[in-house]
Amino acid sequence: MIPLENFLLLSAALFAIGFYGVLARRSAILILMSVELMLAAVSINLVAFAAYLDADGLTGMIFAIFVITVAAAEVGLALGIVLRLYRERRTANVDAADELKW
Amino acid sequence: MRRLPLPSQFDRIIITGGVVAGLALAPLLLVLLVLLAVDEITAPEFIFWLVAAVVVGGALGTVLLPNIVYAALSLVATLLGVAGVYLLLGSEFLALAQVLIYGGGVVILLLFGLMLTNATDDPVVSDGSQKPFAAMVGLLLAGVIVAAAYDATWGVNEVAASSLRAFGEQLFGDYMVPFIIIAVLLDIALTGAYVNARRERATAGDEETSP
Amino acid sequence: MNPDLNYEYALLLPEFILAATAALVLFADAFRQELRVSRRLLPWLAVLGALVAGVVSLAYLDRSDDFAELLTIDDFTTFFRVLFAAIVVVLILGSHEFVERHVRHVGEFYALLLLATVGAIFMSAARELITAYIAIELLSFSLYVAVSLTLGDRRSGEASLKYVLLGGVASAMLLYGLSLLYGIAGSTQYAEIGAAFAAGTADFEWALVLSLALLIGGLGFKASAVPFHMWTPDAYEGAPLPITAFLSATSKAAIVALLLRVFGGPLLPAIDEWQWMMATLAVLTMAFGNLIALQQSNIKRLLAYSSIGQVGYMLMAVTAISFETSSALLLHVAGYLVTNLAVFAAVIAVHNRTGDERIAGFRGLAETQPYLALVLTAGLFSLAGMPLFAGFATKFILFQAVASEGFLWLSVVAVIASTVSLYYYLQVIRQMYLYPPDGDAARWRPSFTALATTGGLLLGVVFIGLYAGPLFRLADGAATALFV
Repeated sequence: MIPLENFLLLSAALFAIGFYGVLARRSAILILMSVELMLAAVSINLVAFAAYLDADGLTGMIFAIFVITVAAAEVGLALGIVLRLYRERRTANVDAADELKW
Repeated sequence: MRRLPLPSQFDRIIITGGVVAGLALAPLLLVLLVLLAVDEITAPEFIFWLVAAVVVGGALGTVLLPNIVYAALSLVATLLGVAGVYLLLGSEFLALAQVLIYGGGVVILLLFGLMLTNATDDPVVSDGSQKPFAAMVGLLLAGVIVAAAYDATWGVNEVAASSLRAFGEQLFGDYMVPFIIIAVLLDIALTGAYVNARRERATAGDEETSP
Repeated sequence: MNPDLNYEYALLLPEFILAATAALVLFADAFRQELRVSRRLLPWLAVLGALVAGVVSLAYLDRSDDFAELLTIDDFTTFFRVLFAAIVVVLILGSHEFVERHVRHVGEFYALLLLATVGAIFMSAARELITAYIAIELLSFSLYVAVSLTLGDRRSGEASLKYVLLGGVASAMLLYGLSLLYGIAGSTQYAEIGAAFAAGTADFEWALVLSLALLIGGLGFKASAVPFHMWTPDAYEGAPLPITAFLSATSKAAIVALLLRVFGGPLLPAIDEWQWMMATLAVLTMAFGNLIALQQSNIKRLLAYSSIGQVGYMLMAVTAISFETSSALLLHVAGYLVTNLAVFAAVIAVHNRTGDERIAGFRGLAETQPYLALVLTAGLFSLAGMPLFAGFATKFILFQAVASEGFLWLSVVAVIASTVSLYYYLQVIRQMYLYPPDGDAARWRPSFTALATTGGLLLGVVFIGLYAGPLFRLADGAATALFV
């Protein structure tokens, strides 16, 4: 049997890589991809806990399916906004979005 | 390559990328095979480490590759690898949903986004100057999470393959209310995508007739 | 009741009414030519829906069906249901002229306001992590879109993009915290998490702290607590004014409701692990929110930082959580909402006339429109916590409750922060009373609905300030539902 810690290790790595991507990337779409990585890490965590710890092993899976749904919806929503920004400024880089001071 | 590849060229990229990734995975495969042969690791663990290598490799590719199309395709590798992880955890439904939603939906959407925003530009993007800082934060975060995971004593039960029927009954029984709420949420996402992605008329695009 | 259904869905009637009204508004807008309805009808439709929802929710006092432990419709939920419905009504009445002129996609705008309210209500009703998370996302998604609806303003899309990207990262952090919490407690239901924590968490020291830190970070982002506030001023500035008001009203109150439910319930046994984090967050938020507000020249950004400062007071009460602080906090939130909406209703009414977002745009308002100047003065004084107004009474009770829980030092910080805040509120008041108007000095009259909303809110501000008793009893009842 695979130890639970292995899955937690994998999800930690994925989460950290995603966070790195969020900080390092400048293209809005690449940042979105990095957020997807972070959410995938969350799902791995949830399913692993569900399989190893939960009595009926279902709550975590249901949580994961909701996370996947929300993540997909978020991509659709955010891409719409990215497209609009691109039409207005001809770039999808976040540092072009500088009219508001941070 | 200075231009964004056409979708018809994706197969070439995928084949090349696959070969490169396969070659990179070969030493790991060899090590794992040896370990398996001397009974250091069990067969599920063998598969786990292989899948984990794909997931982490793909993730690194997503955040490190300067070419956005390569990054998007290596995201596909990661997400398929995550589906493999779900399979290892005995949840075939989630694995299928993952492949369908991410492989079939999200990544296509992201690729569309790339095509629409970088169509005339070159696909190579430069990253911010804060890379070393970002790497430090990422490593720190990973360290903290791993330390916390190994520090804790998780009360592990047996891995029981969950039945799909029970899953469905719980999703549409107990979790009916969140299910209804998420329907509204998808509606909002649709509205949001539509109001922003649609081209506005030049002036006061509000009172126009149907588009 | 009905043997065919698993749950008594009638308990969710107010939410169904709100969502159905949203759908109706969308359809009426999309088919307005076929149906021959005017766009002017839409706000009234939305107001009607929100009113009905608010009234219907009063029918469920002292009732509760727990929906498989996912939701509960108790007095706490009812308190927020009525508040949130009232916010939508007041906001639409006060801003429908603004919306006609400055918002793209009017139908979607009203629909999103109503759906965001549904999300906020579910946040206050959730008793389970999945439901709570989905409710948070429902509110956030509506706001991501709503922020992008300013007509002809490039800042709007930019604000929305920043908000959605940062919001996505914050959600991921929050979720990672929740997943660890689920792993530690073995359940997502508040009751079972509370039981697991009460039984001891010695096995999970680091994991628990990490999960609480991620949780507080993620929720702190949604509440725009310092240092997770970077999106707030930008989103406030890019958003249409009514959405700015909504961001500082409903979205703050909803997160407070969620914090009370989570930290007053399941996480109470682990209070030693999170109290210091919450206290740090509260102090930082109070200090930086009010200090950065001092140097703003745009009224939206000023109110953004002011609302950050206000969130600090609320987090302070969450830090010192108990029955008394909870009821004081609920009272303070209600008072803050009335005050804040009064300020925003006046700002919107002035903006309709001047179209100016700078603080300097309020020059000479006392001459051109003394009534709105009075409302704005009363609202700003109330936000700063001056006697006679709602802000004083609610802050006084809140600070006292926090101090009596052994957090005197937090109360002292809050009093100092309030004093600092008076300075920048006075800057606005100075512009109105001490300077002559720029250019057009003619008297003007705001519209009837603007007069009515600001008048009602002004009465509310003064009434709560002089006689907070009835509202306090309501807040007390709501808090009782929380600590049964």
